[in-house]
Amino acid sequence: MSEVREMTIQFPYKRSLGPVVGAFMTALTEQRIIGIRNGEQVICPPIEWDPATGNELAHDFVDVGPAGTVESWSWVAKPSEQHPLDHPFAFALIRIDGATTSLLHAVDAGSIDAMSTGMRVAPRWKGTRIGHISDIDAFVPGEVSEVAGDDTGPAAEPVEMMDYNASIAYTLPVTANELRAEQANEEGRFLGLKCPKCGRLYTGGRGFCPIDAIELGHEHEVDLPQKGVITNYTIIEPVPYPGQTMTEPFARVMVLLDGADIVLGYQPTIDLPVTDLHIGIRVEAVWASDAELDDLASTAEGRLLGWIPTGEPDVTDPELVNRIY
Amino acid sequence: MSHQPCAIVGIGQTHHKKARRDVSFAGLVREAAQRALDDAQMTWTDIDAVVVGKAPDLFEGVMKPELYLSDALGATGKPMFRVHTAGSVGGTTGIVASHHVETGRFERVLAVAFEKQSEGNAQFALGSGKSGSLGAGGAFAPYMRSYIARSGAPLDIGPMVAVKDRLNGCKNPYAHLKLKDIDLDTVKASPMLWEPVRFLESCPSSDGACAAVFTNQAGGEAAAKAGRQPAWILGSAVRSEPSTFPGRDPVRPQGAVDCAWDVYGQAGITNPREQIDCAELYVPFSWYEPMWLEAHDIAEPGEGWKMTERGDTALGGSFPVNMSGGVLSSNPIGASGLLRFTEAALQVRGMAGEHQVEGAKVALAQAYGAAAQYFSMWVVSNSLDPFGN
Amino acid sequence: MPNADDIAIIGWNVSPMVRHTDKTEAQMLLEVCSGAVEHAGITRAEIDFTCAGSCDYVAGQAFSFVQNIDALGAWPPKRDSHVEMDGAWAMYEAWLRLQIGDIDTALVMGSGRSSTADPTLIYPMEMDPYYLAPLGTDATSFAALQARALIDAGKVTERQMAEIAARTRRDGKDSPYAQVTGDFDVDALLAEEYVNAPLRRHDLPPITDGACAVVIARADRARELCDNPVFITGFAHYTEAHYPGVRSLLESPSITLAAKAAGVDEGPIEVAEIQAAYTHEEPLIVEALGLGADVAVNPSGGPQAANPIMATGLVRVTEAARQIRDLGKSRTLAHSTSGPCLQQNLVCVLEGDAK
Repeated sequence: MSEVREMTIQFPYKRSLGPVVGAFMTALTEQRIIGIRNGEQVICPPIEWDPATGNELAHDFVDVGPAGTVESWSWVAKPSEQHPLDHPFAFALIRIDGATTSLLHAVDAGSIDAMSTGMRVAPRWKGTRIGHISDIDAFVPGEVSEVAGDDTGPAAEPVEMMDYNASIAYTLPVTANELRAEQANEEGRFLGLKCPKCGRLYTGGRGFCPIDAIELGHEHEVDLPQKGVITNYTIIEPVPYPGQTMTEPFARVMVLLDGADIVLGYQPTIDLPVTDLHIGIRVEAVWASDAELDDLASTAEGRLLGWIPTGEPDVTDPELVNRIY
Repeated sequence: MSHQPCAIVGIGQTHHKKARRDVSFAGLVREAAQRALDDAQMTWTDIDAVVVGKAPDLFEGVMKPELYLSDALGATGKPMFRVHTAGSVGGTTGIVASHHVETGRFERVLAVAFEKQSEGNAQFALGSGKSGSLGAGGAFAPYMRSYIARSGAPLDIGPMVAVKDRLNGCKNPYAHLKLKDIDLDTVKASPMLWEPVRFLESCPSSDGACAAVFTNQAGGEAAAKAGRQPAWILGSAVRSEPSTFPGRDPVRPQGAVDCAWDVYGQAGITNPREQIDCAELYVPFSWYEPMWLEAHDIAEPGEGWKMTERGDTALGGSFPVNMSGGVLSSNPIGASGLLRFTEAALQVRGMAGEHQVEGAKVALAQAYGAAAQYFSMWVVSNSLDPFGN
Repeated sequence: MPNADDIAIIGWNVSPMVRHTDKTEAQMLLEVCSGAVEHAGITRAEIDFTCAGSCDYVAGQAFSFVQNIDALGAWPPKRDSHVEMDGAWAMYEAWLRLQIGDIDTALVMGSGRSSTADPTLIYPMEMDPYYLAPLGTDATSFAALQARALIDAGKVTERQMAEIAARTRRDGKDSPYAQVTGDFDVDALLAEEYVNAPLRRHDLPPITDGACAVVIARADRARELCDNPVFITGFAHYTEAHYPGVRSLLESPSITLAAKAAGVDEGPIEVAEIQAAYTHEEPLIVEALGLGADVAVNPSGGPQAANPIMATGLVRVTEAARQIRDLGKSRTLAHSTSGPCLQQNLVCVLEGDAK
């Protein structure tokens, strides 16, 4: 196994609950658990439709519990960072008294020996409740609800939204081709790959020719030119979002390399004010020095700082603008 | 086994908005689905299979949401399917649903496509959380520049499309944007987002859902007899091509051309400009109207913008495009393709209300995705044989 | 029995099944697509339709399948689709598509690199976003809940589960596509700690990176291209309610429905390749399929030996096909599943050609 790269995808999602889930979450802040009637059934946690027919359910809510019976359970020996408790606990399907379906939640039983199918559990409420399934901190053995910490009371308004902070860390292998392309980049070179069948050129990280569907590797490598011409571009007004670091309009240009039929797409520019940007400018690659490399914000371009006008006369060719690829 | 006719007999959509905070995911999707069922005069239990489509799950942070939506869509005890072909997904959803019927294996299939993207951030999802995201517009801006250069189109064409589609949107009760005071000057004065595309030339980000009920020939004919005109699918096709190889033309992609002629061939169309009455094309940025008119050979190369300029593509023109207001008026990304497809169907069913094209008999719908590399298209008509073949 | 309208499998390829691949998903796909097309004796150009199964969240990137298109040789542009589901469902879409009658061959694939992230952190995201995902309810916890329910009801014992783990890993020794194999002593397995009681490590599937591709063709074309096409004589999938608390965890009605619709009971099944990623699922699935004790289950080692999520189901199809094409069987089935506690299930019945 060669090299790996860490990457985290995380985002603070904001979800709207709708009338039924919203009612349940609001009730949680009041230390109440509610179900929804469906004929003879009481579904808890409540859903908006009949699971058998799909028909919309009337908002006929019923208070249930707070205690219930464990119908099935598991024992999580090593909780993950997303789990509700940070010490071993049970996930359980709990038939809350008065409901005809079961609710999934954590049971903080202390040890696996305290768990059994059929045992009675009751909610331990968080002191501060916001209208979230974790307002129940966990269920605990017994019949009686408890509150952990100071009880700050129910929500002032009906709860309509919830936050979900998803965060997943990925460890992605870097392929041999990518490594070699990055190595070349480190050395201030562009690595290309030439398809032995159709002769097309691709940037080095690419593993294959998509036209011929054949793998490209070490033996197909070529050094790509460092000079080219801007064939097309856009200027982007940055949008704020978590992870965004751009604050001023920035250009991304397409560069057709000299003497090589390949366009490098969406490249950054150097010393080229967006107001001066136009098709036909001759440019060359500018690489960061070792000192500058440390300052570089993480971008896709590695050591490449961008493309700088060479000062040579523009290329005038009406076909240039069509060379996006 | 051969191709059996397929009819759309029920269509529903939500009121598309920037954020539908009044509903859960299920609530959003059911709103469209219930409307489609009501239109088809069916209940959840009448449906044999459900096909769900939406764009990347990173938009909402719910992976494979069709699992959670299974019972919300009445799919318990039924087949449930989830397609994902980037921006064209709404179209592909409709096509896959139609295939379920066309094989003769299913009688009544519900297709649903949706996006509740206000829960996340589309730019974030498109860039997978990295800085300096191009966004969708940034990626396509060079394509539009290339079109403007190669066609010689005057720069007002993009703004003209923006105005036309938003004014059409005012006639569509479900459209997200209803900019009744929009005009060329306000569009041209709006901030540049991805040069050369301005804010008012770009699609909104919407929460929304769209649903359609597909049935077979017997079902379609029964609906027609009961006074509920179905839309018959005359042809449907999809194409994909790789995004990046030297010499690729993303302005007139080969996939766009091939997909169109596949659909035209199935529908018996040899002259799309004349034989098609109106079209719903996936135009998220203004310049895509003339670009698609040309890429799908409705206009000759270099002539697409003239159709716009002449007013051919206006609601009252000779080849109306995006009568519903299009993607420029509503863009719940996963649903947008199905919205195009169902809006075309509404036209030939005579059910498009204020944005109805008078006497529309044959309508074209198209959706595209990713780097203009996924295409899904269909042609619908109120007759199985509109050209009298 | 196969008839003129049936679709047949004419070739396939399975990637090496490894704990950590160095390859990109597209590279894995390139290899299996080339291999499947070669196995089928055709060229990529002759493929009329392609359909892939993969998942953005497993890949760690929105639109991850778009890069995978590069593996298809989609030039000239291809009729192509993608499902955010296991490759077995991609095969279902292609199977439907070929029945329209205007095209003859399809290439379907499934791929996934599960090694890149902790499954315990990813799979909660496919659960109910209000009631389940925020609790971090992962697939193994759900499996454990179902296992407990089955044990309590006397439907399976921990010993039987360990025996299944030992059997599948032993059977996997013969398979070039198995990742976790060996001879394990049942008592030694039972002496191990619980990971998520009542599940021990051996009850869980391995984490696997892998891909799989299959070529299918309409009957006439299949017979032209292949001496012994494997016919799909039944193919169906069904789903159940999502929230495990509203279902009985002791049964799987969607499997039974799918088995019926696929015609499982219309003839003897000799081998069943089922997506029982957790040991306790095997008896539940076998019973729901209506199979007797005489049916060989997962002779390949099954997902217990290698579990390339998003391709696992399609690999089951190839293993069931291999039994017919290479090992002389007449009628086999493949099963795939998705969602917590076997929420959604697919069954595919395969038969050798009638001559």
